[in-house]
Amino acid sequence: MAPKFQVKALTTIKILKNISLISIIIFSFLLIFFTKSDYFIINSIKNISTGVINPITKIISSPFYAISNINIEFKKYQNLKFENKILQEEIIRLKKWQTLAIQNSRENKVLKKLLNATDNNLKLIKTASLINRNDTIYSRLININAGHNENIRENMSAINERGLVGKIIETTSNQSRILLLTDPNFSISIKTVSDDVFSLVSGAGDNRHLVSTFMKENKMPRLGDIVVTSGTAQVFPVDLLIGKINKIDKDRFYILPFVDFNNIDYVQIVTSE
Amino acid sequence: MEISKFFKSNLIFNSLLLISFSISVNNFNSFPNINIIFYIFFHLSLIYFLFYHYNYSIYFIFLTYGILLDIFLLNEIGTHLLTYIILILTYILTKKNLFQLSSNQISLTIFFTLLFVLLFELLISYYLDIFQPNLSIVIKFIIISAIIFIPSIFLFNRIDR
Repeated sequence: MAPKFQVKALTTIKILKNISLISIIIFSFLLIFFTKSDYFIINSIKNISTGVINPITKIISSPFYAISNINIEFKKYQNLKFENKILQEEIIRLKKWQTLAIQNSRENKVLKKLLNATDNNLKLIKTASLINRNDTIYSRLININAGHNENIRENMSAINERGLVGKIIETTSNQSRILLLTDPNFSISIKTVSDDVFSLVSGAGDNRHLVSTFMKENKMPRLGDIVVTSGTAQVFPVDLLIGKINKIDKDRFYILPFVDFNNIDYVQIVTSE
Repeated sequence: MEISKFFKSNLIFNSLLLISFSISVNNFNSFPNINIIFYIFFHLSLIYFLFYHYNYSIYFIFLTYGILLDIFLLNEIGTHLLTYIILILTYILTKKNLFQLSSNQISLTIFFTLLFVLLFELLISYYLDIFQPNLSIVIKFIIISAIIFIPSIFLFNRIDR
């Protein structure tokens, strides 16, 4: 009796194993198949992983964050004397500029009144701080501590004091993911400030530059031109600072963004008013 | 005693997987390559886990980490999940042959499986139009894999012992 029972139990386990393997394979292929569309399951999985798993991974990797921060602080401490000297010189220089800027600001106000001009203002939705970064070899993503509870929606622009940082690609109730400007899948319509050369650019893949993918009328901009958002695709507000053209090849040009993507602490989520 | 030992090593392997996963999906400014090192270590642990601790729960572990890695690193499910499914299926099909190999031959198989998995992921992400791989990443993967392989296997053996 005993050996027969053993054989039966073994086959049941084998059948269960096979069924679970087949169901996992089917489930995986369904997920892969539906991932490009906005199906409820995919979005829920993404939301759970961003909202629940992300904090866990941050807690687990907190010792590395601590070591990384200590290292950064130590490097800063080493440069303290040198930076102090530079800052003293900078203060003197900026004081001169401040006087000039106040004069210009007054002049600007008066001229605006005379011209009856309206500003192309940005509407600030929320200033949020960085939770953690997922920018690895595959993609350039960061997570911030504000979500759709603070009226943040997909495709809104993220900026900081230096210019455009990226765009919101996913929101949960209290968190959002930002695709950085340097991601190769990020595409944006731009124009040069000096002579309005319009083109499309995307991340060059080296985590530093943007590269042109299309140029309107094949017009080539000049080296050193300042580049801003054109606003033509109606995703980004017009005239957000992007960067400077620092390399020109035969059929493409490269932009060095103003934003230092390794040192982002806070971002402002904006949309055009 | 044997069962408690099995659970103990299983627990340690799962903790290793969780830690290496957490570090590989986070970026540390002052250590730019640390997440790549842990990304490779995570794959190595996963392959070792499959080869030496193959059981019923491994399907769910592969499924969960496949989905999570895809969401955290690529924001699209596909690359890692597909690779892990192929890895499990290949293992099941070749299991009988693997039992006949010596420990050194299995170690070598693990190393080549690791390289194959990493390169296959790059290839799938390229074909799914998510990521444009370049030669420097491939070289980085190969060099880091070669460096961390022996210490990692040594560590895994110690855990198993």
